[in-house]
Amino acid sequence: MNDARPPLVELAGASRAYVAGSPEQVVALRAVDLAIPSGEFVSVEGPSGCGKTTLLNLVGLLDSPTSGEVRWGGRPVGSLSDRERARLRLRGVGFIFQRFYLLPTLTALENVELPMRPLGVPRAERTRRASELLGEVGLAGRERAFPHQLSGGEEQRVAVARALANRPGILLADEPTGELDSGNTRAILDLLERVRHDRSATLVLVTHNPEVAARARRHLTMRDGSIVRDARETGT
Amino acid sequence: MTRLSWGRSLRHSRLQLVLTVAAIGAAVALPVILISVGGGVSAHELAQLQNAGYQLVVSAQGLHGIAGAHALSDRILAMSSVTAVSPVLSIAIDAFTAQGSLSPVLAEGVVPRDFTATLGPTESGLFPSPLPLGDPTDSVRYADGTYAGPATNDVLVSTPYALAAHVFPGDTLLLSPSTDPSLGVRFNVTGTFGVAPSLLGPTGAFAVLLPLSDLQVLTGFGPAPAATVVDAADTIEIALTSSAAASPSALAQVRSAVAALVPYYSVTSLDQQAEQLHAASAVLTGFYLALSSVGLTVGLLFLALVLLRRVESDRRSIGIRRALGIPGRSIVAGIVRDGALLALLGGLAGVTAGYVVVEGLARWATAAVQEAASLAVFDPTILAAIVGGVVALSLLASALASRRAMRVDIGEALR
Repeated sequence: MNDARPPLVELAGASRAYVAGSPEQVVALRAVDLAIPSGEFVSVEGPSGCGKTTLLNLVGLLDSPTSGEVRWGGRPVGSLSDRERARLRLRGVGFIFQRFYLLPTLTALENVELPMRPLGVPRAERTRRASELLGEVGLAGRERAFPHQLSGGEEQRVAVARALANRPGILLADEPTGELDSGNTRAILDLLERVRHDRSATLVLVTHNPEVAARARRHLTMRDGSIVRDARETGT
Repeated sequence: MTRLSWGRSLRHSRLQLVLTVAAIGAAVALPVILISVGGGVSAHELAQLQNAGYQLVVSAQGLHGIAGAHALSDRILAMSSVTAVSPVLSIAIDAFTAQGSLSPVLAEGVVPRDFTATLGPTESGLFPSPLPLGDPTDSVRYADGTYAGPATNDVLVSTPYALAAHVFPGDTLLLSPSTDPSLGVRFNVTGTFGVAPSLLGPTGAFAVLLPLSDLQVLTGFGPAPAATVVDAADTIEIALTSSAAASPSALAQVRSAVAALVPYYSVTSLDQQAEQLHAASAVLTGFYLALSSVGLTVGLLFLALVLLRRVESDRRSIGIRRALGIPGRSIVAGIVRDGALLALLGGLAGVTAGYVVVEGLARWATAAVQEAASLAVFDPTILAAIVGGVVALSLLASALASRRAMRVDIGEALR
């Protein structure tokens, strides 16, 4: 913790309020301060509506705070254009969603190739890397399958492979096991832990399942838009 | 980037795709039909002008046409650079066969020898040479404007008419200025002449050719009731020497000289007529395109709606792409590409449909339409321009959908 390098992602007094069809604002996040160093495995817990996903969206540059600041590698990102933020997401962030969000008209292989295309990765290289990633998540031989031909666990594996496509520094998983049975939940968590460890990546995992959260080394608990507990496990 | 997704997505909604392509195709087919047929007819008329055996035309439409045609022709013939002058009088009359059947026919009164001298290479093969009409110079009957000479009363009939009316050389034919046979004069059929379908329509194919003075007397365009001589013709065709015909300045000089001789009549060169034809053709093409733009607008609006609908139904996919960091331009490129693809398919379908319709008209429509359709010319450059224009306009149709796609809220789309 005494590392002189700035945290990978940092929120400084970040708030997010919405105007949802009424004159009153709904405050989803209240002046959150948070620093996530590189390589950490962080869980974010809390009841529904407490602001977990909003926090994740701010960290992943899908959204901007209405007040406060988000920094990446010590640099504020608030002044970046949509295009620059998209580029940062494309290169630096791997998203894993609860509902998988694979593109239904693409095969598993094409879904994994998708984030590589805008970076100009040559076709052969794309295909090779996507095939390797699918093999890494245990889906070798399923490259040509469309999402509707895959089970929920397989779809989430494809989503993990897609999240790893551009070798991001941080993986953001929003309830990644929320739609899975216990067997697939264990398998996906094992997979996430393994890829995080192998790639020295940061993993931020939003969940309201304590068993899932227990896998993390750092535990954030949220309530009413605020982080009410930030606990790190000691030891290995 | 979005090629795979959007392409497949389109294939998944085949009905929309087919309807869009059909709408654009229908919009494209109209200008294809109009321009190909209109252009074909113009090109045909132009070819006729270019193949004519004369270079200048004196014309005057009206009750009496060009008066004093014989004398005027002689005066023009006396000019330098002029090799042949052919006065022509064209009048619709009625022909009665020996069996009494009646047909309206187009009668052309000509000076036989001068007529053959002004035929172009295409036409000359259709007529016997010399024409088997008894008075080659039309001077016997005309008799210096007295019309007192003996009439040969010879007539040539077109092959289509001969076959239809069963009239052949050696037969006689009663020609009358009206449907009253008592006003008619019996003529000897001395030969036939060919009519290329592309030169005269089926109606025009019912034609007869006779000496000018015989037709003038028969129709009252020779000696008038008040004992005056009209000696009328519709046109006087003037052939020049090959060197004068090839020189614009010499042509203009002869034209001016003839115009000075006949200030009340129109004197035009075939080059001028060709230019006028070109200009008229360009105006018509513009009109056809303007007319077609209405259909095209509807087709492109349809395309815009389909693309907008596609964006609406793909909000989640667009949101996912944007969340992953796929650049907006890739998403827009996919929409534009789909719009262009649909426009291209519609354009090609329209060209095909236009071709099929024109071919159908050439085979199964009424005679006059068949005639026009058979002359249609499908110019690849024009067809490519039409299709290219539609594809270019599809960019406009894609703009709205692209704008909508860029406004998809990521968080909302993923909720």
